[in-house]
Amino acid sequence: MLLGNEKKLGLFSAVINGLGGAIGFEIFVLLNYAYFDLAGPSMISALFFCGIINLVTMLSYSELSAALPEVGGEYTYTKVAFGGFISFMSGCLRWLASIFGGALATLVFVDQLGVLFSVFAPSIQDLVLANTALLIIGLVIMLIILAIRGIEEATTLVVGAFLAIFLIFLFTSIGYSLTPQNVIPEVSPNSLVVFFATTAYLFPMFVGMRALIASAPQIKNPGKNVPRALLITTVVLTVVYFAVAYVSVGVIPSDIPRTAADPPLLNLAASTILGPIGAILFAIAGIFASVSSVGTAMSVQASILGGMSRDGYLPKLLEKAHRKFGTRYIAIIASSLFVVFFGTSGAVVFLGYAASFGSLLVFAIVNFSLIQLRRKQPRLERPFKAPLYPFTPIAGVVMSVLLLTFPILLGDVNAGSALISSLGMIAIVLVTYYLRMVKREVDFNRIRVAVGGICFGAGVSLIIISFIIIPNSLKIITILFGFASTVAGFFNILGSTRKID
Amino acid sequence: MKTQRILSAIIGITQAVIGLFSGVSAILLGLHIIEIKEVLTSPPEFLVIYILIIGLFSLFSIINALFLIREWRG
Repeated sequence: MLLGNEKKLGLFSAVINGLGGAIGFEIFVLLNYAYFDLAGPSMISALFFCGIINLVTMLSYSELSAALPEVGGEYTYTKVAFGGFISFMSGCLRWLASIFGGALATLVFVDQLGVLFSVFAPSIQDLVLANTALLIIGLVIMLIILAIRGIEEATTLVVGAFLAIFLIFLFTSIGYSLTPQNVIPEVSPNSLVVFFATTAYLFPMFVGMRALIASAPQIKNPGKNVPRALLITTVVLTVVYFAVAYVSVGVIPSDIPRTAADPPLLNLAASTILGPIGAILFAIAGIFASVSSVGTAMSVQASILGGMSRDGYLPKLLEKAHRKFGTRYIAIIASSLFVVFFGTSGAVVFLGYAASFGSLLVFAIVNFSLIQLRRKQPRLERPFKAPLYPFTPIAGVVMSVLLLTFPILLGDVNAGSALISSLGMIAIVLVTYYLRMVKREVDFNRIRVAVGGICFGAGVSLIIISFIIIPNSLKIITILFGFASTVAGFFNILGSTRKID
Repeated sequence: MKTQRILSAIIGITQAVIGLFSGVSAILLGLHIIEIKEVLTSPPEFLVIYILIIGLFSLFSIINALFLIREWRG
């Protein structure tokens, strides 16, 4: 990702960019949990529903990107529509979703490496799976070096290879009698909750097509080409994903006994249909997809941090470009540390939900931005207008919020953790924003009171929790920590309240 | 006033140490150098949530401590 690298892309290149962003590692990992642990065969319908939701929000994206084809995507739209905190939050959420996505991709890399070795030497597969953390750190260091050097990816080649592999897979499956049962979910409250939770979980398979928005400033005649490319990409993606999932579900029953070392659904289906060649082909595709996604995520993260730093929301240090390669090397390294941290946690399902929740929140904010811009700037030149306004953006907001809710209703512990994490991150974003942007002493003291209050509350909670769930060996330490936190919070509240008065 | 400043310094430094200790613990849990089952007798699925809670506690502790240290240093 070199700064100031200007090109002009046509409709075909724009579609390839969208497909390049979306067709990636997610299909190798997300289908697995969705099929075996959540919805079973009705996962296929959930995929189709993901396509519809994505299409609705992409209509809002199309209007905004055609009207504001500047660099920055969602961050720019929210900045023009709301400014201040909302744009900062959307930038941070987008960055977070990219961090969670990148971390998930590092796990897929190790998983697919294991699948590849399982064909040749199962003992090496065990070695790979036992050294996940080391492999992730090695991969990220290698990609940091490549990202700093500004190595560009051959997107067209990667997309072409993927589509070719999927087509071989689909054509070979014609000889099989595919018998997916219960593709349509039952109409009962429980199965509908599961269905929507699955839709939320599978959603990251589509959100990568926002790469097209990132390239909007480089697209010829963006007013016409960006909306067209977004629509074409959505349709192609939905059809390809639907077909691949249909075949996979058709050849692999959801009730087969499984262990942790078993390959994911797509690899299983490929080896069933194409034999060992299929297993190798899909494992190599998975490795390339995940490496490419981690690389792309790093560039996106550096670009977001750089943009927010340029606008004064984050330290100027993050905007600093490498003297020789012109890339934002500090932003790349800073983001990569988070990718390694979450990647080495090994929490695949949590990361899937977390990436989805971050993206869904951004989608909701983008739809709100469209409504706000129509009210605030009615005369803004809009080469493309989202049809059925205001129902389209309202539907986008409602569907995003519903998808955030259903996994929690289902009681999925991973979804609960992902939502709490996202809310926790929003709390950090709020504090960071006010710490960076508020200059006056009285506001500084208000922040001090707020942080003091958080620490006071956390300290009291810690003391209570210590008596309930903390084992005896740690009880004294946690009570002391809680006590110190309570006193420190109280001191900050006391010291700053007087100054506010 | 002087007593309050000295107290702020002591509490601020203690809080900073607690914050750093919590942060390091979160990293060690994340890298599986210490195991959640041994420390908190919790299933591994809760690992990420524990890391995030400890991480948040660490962050707010450090910010809180910095406010107190700032007051002490005038």
